[in-house]
Amino acid sequence: MNDPVFALTDIDYDYRDQPALAGLSLTVQSGERIALIGPNGSGKSTLLRLLSGLTFAASGRAEAFGAPLTEARFEDEQAHYAFRRRVGLVFQNPDIQLFNPTVFDEIAFGPLQLGWDKPRIRLAIEQQLERFELTHLKDRAPHRLSGGEKKRVALASVLVTEPDVLLLDEPTAALDPQSRDKLVHFLAGHLGEGRTVITATHDLDILTAISTRSVVMAGGHVVGDGPVHDILHDTDLLRRARLTHAHVHHHANGSPHAHHHVHALDRDGHVHG
Amino acid sequence: MDGEKGTAAGANARNTPLCPAGHLPLKGGDWLGSPASEKSDKEAYEHVASENTSESPILGSNGTRDSISPLEGEMAGRPEGGGQLQAPRRKSNRRLFRTPSHLLHALTHAMEAEELADRNGLLQGLDPRAKVAGAMLMVIAATMLHSLIGLALLFGFAVLLALASQIPLMRLLKQVWLGVLAFTGVIALPSPFLVPGKVVATLPVLDWTVSEQGLRSAGFLIGRAETAATFAALLVLTTSWPHVMKAMRALGVPVAVVAVLGMTHRYIFVLMTTAAQMMEARRARQLGPLKAADQRRLIAGSAGVLMSKTLAIAGDVHMAMIARGYRGEIRLIDDFQFRARDGVSLLLALLVPATIFWMQR
Repeated sequence: MNDPVFALTDIDYDYRDQPALAGLSLTVQSGERIALIGPNGSGKSTLLRLLSGLTFAASGRAEAFGAPLTEARFEDEQAHYAFRRRVGLVFQNPDIQLFNPTVFDEIAFGPLQLGWDKPRIRLAIEQQLERFELTHLKDRAPHRLSGGEKKRVALASVLVTEPDVLLLDEPTAALDPQSRDKLVHFLAGHLGEGRTVITATHDLDILTAISTRSVVMAGGHVVGDGPVHDILHDTDLLRRARLTHAHVHHHANGSPHAHHHVHALDRDGHVHG
Repeated sequence: MDGEKGTAAGANARNTPLCPAGHLPLKGGDWLGSPASEKSDKEAYEHVASENTSESPILGSNGTRDSISPLEGEMAGRPEGGGQLQAPRRKSNRRLFRTPSHLLHALTHAMEAEELADRNGLLQGLDPRAKVAGAMLMVIAATMLHSLIGLALLFGFAVLLALASQIPLMRLLKQVWLGVLAFTGVIALPSPFLVPGKVVATLPVLDWTVSEQGLRSAGFLIGRAETAATFAALLVLTTSWPHVMKAMRALGVPVAVVAVLGMTHRYIFVLMTTAAQMMEARRARQLGPLKAADQRRLIAGSAGVLMSKTLAIAGDVHMAMIARGYRGEIRLIDDFQFRARDGVSLLLALLVPATIFWMQR
């Protein structure tokens, strides 16, 4: 077993006097690819912000890389930069994430803050532009890009510093099917390079492609945790977590019927659980 | 619908009944609104009209009902360009933005400017730092000139640069010259009458005298403003805004100023899009025209919502910056290349005010 990257024990966090995380406990091992699933308001985004050191637990114990994940820790400049180099967060809304005037500047932002020298930054930017097929857009303003392009720029701007841990908040939200497939292809292909990846998503279709472990959240705490296939077949759990609904459909050569089920895409094709 | 006024298409649209596809029309056609008596509809119209000073969304412009299907035997669907529901026509132009399209038009305008900056023109091919410095030197030259002929020559030079950079003169006329003329013209207007000097004319009725010195003074004010504004416009129309800001940073403008300008430019588009969507959503749910007081209340409410959204975005953007290592100091990288032609251009730009200074010693 690898060393834990994150170890959270009995975490509470309130947002505007409403409990966003309530008694949450979770351990994340290095190299794991985890999908955080849960209905709206279950605390997924709050958990990602906590894991990325943007918000801090009101009570409970949070550790990252063996050190406490507290506000006091980030007051130290060296600790701040060391943590930011190791953990990257891709926000759900790319208009929030992409605040620089051009794509080039957007990708350069992180390395510049971390104090890299300029030749190294230029090389890293070129690599990311090529990796995410963005070279032709490098001088464009982010607000003029399509949704899929924005997401790819957001990913490139975070991955340019090669973080050990990548946190993704609803990466496929509001994307058309082709853009979504392209992004899933990137997530499945490029990111499984020994990196720890935690993805918050509603999109059960992509779970098997982007993760091996699934954590189900509801009411600010973990209500299910296990291998993706086990979670996807636990229809009771998914129904309780408001992640499935029954609708009338029919299978090939079958008569129309209705039951709770999920569709999932894995590398071998379509799974109907 | 206003755009169709007076055209054949517009007349058809107003007179042809509306008929949903697949709907079998009845003898006499179907009509919007209740099939009750004409009198009650008229009363309803008059009631709405008296409260809103605009036309009813239910009744046509002449107070009659709008049909929703043609007479029996006519084709269903939307034949002959007709069948369009009369949009309530607004008589008031006094609202801040009459339609969301006004906001989106501003976005389009900004994008067109970026398209001009991408063209293969003379100024577009220069290093942004040379252009920013050159534009500043030309503005200085315009303010230094003590000769109207010299000012006219400098203005002519700006026009030549615009033509060589594929900037439409009509755009400069609408965006720069008329606006500057209106603004400085108001300031310069009293000058011919108030500045003492050689009288060149007298106004017939008022008997006010016009002095040569006053006219020259007004000419200098307007000429300098027009020339300086033209060079500034050429800079921003031939250089993408991000490059203008980077060049400003490279020329020593404080990083905080550049960062604030950059963020403003970046998020003004997000907020304008949000504002346009809010207005569109409001219109989609608005069943009839609003009273002026209600409109003002709605605009104030929308401004408040937009402000709170702005604050939320500001907080989230700050978090996104922190997540990528930001600790209060913005660092920028530039990818400019200063070539020989940039050096020559800058030298020429430097020579203009230097020559003027030398000649006017």
